Amino acid sequence: MRFVRAEDQLSSDAAPGGRVDPSPMLGTWFATDKQSAGVVKMELSERDGAFVVRAFGAGTPDPIDWGEVPAIAYAKSVDSGEGMAVSAVFDFGFEESLLAAYSKGGILVLDTFNTFKDGSGRSAYFSREFFHR
Amino acid sequence: MIARLSDRPSGNAAPIDPATLLGEWINYDTSSRNIAGLTIARRSEDILLSIDDWGEATVLPFSLTTAGGEAAAFRAAYDFGFARIAILAYLNKRLLVVDAYTTFHDDSGRSSYFARDHFWAR
Repeated sequence: MRFVRAEDQLSSDAAPGGRVDPSPMLGTWFATDKQSAGVVKMELSERDGAFVVRAFGAGTPDPIDWGEVPAIAYAKSVDSGEGMAVSAVFDFGFEESLLAAYSKGGILVLDTFNTFKDGSGRSAYFSREFFHR
Repeated sequence: MIARLSDRPSGNAAPIDPATLLGEWINYDTSSRNIAGLTIARRSEDILLSIDDWGEATVLPFSLTTAGGEAAAFRAAYDFGFARIAILAYLNKRLLVVDAYTTFHDDSGRSSYFARDHFWAR
């Protein structure tokens, strides 16, 4: 079994985790900051066996629906099947946003890495936001 | 166009200055089973991440707003064939928080997993 760090290895008595179950993260998550200018809501769900994320950005007068994209669920280790983190990419054409989040103590901590592709001169930027169910 | 209010332009954007990211970073947790240390360096126009035994990967720096300026975060990616690792990191004061999102693409049955470590600048 190939690995690039110790953490990639299965412990001797552990079975491989295999598919990561996103169930612990499923549901609708709301930004703790009601004045957020970033992501205001995320819906994590399973559709036809696939893990998907739908996100909404802050907008006026209503939030901006980003639609739904495939997501990847991550466990805390190679031999765990319990989802505790997620990543997904939204490509808006003019901008790409990589969303990466992990759950801890009932909170979902979201990092976004945003890159503009429209020649507008806007800088790529990062945000860190917190969500509750 | 915007996907959220924070996408709005804020005047003339400055180039992202990666200086805050550059240098050698050491994991506070000396018993970590993840990444022990990493180096971020400028090579001509590129910013490169180097991790022992992993080689180099291109760093994409990010500022905190669309106005640019000082780098506050970066992303990079390693593809080892059997595994792909997205390195997503941000600065908190002078603490570098590094998240590794790993997926396996072999038949080992290992779970995709998330790992976080904290680094200080040597």
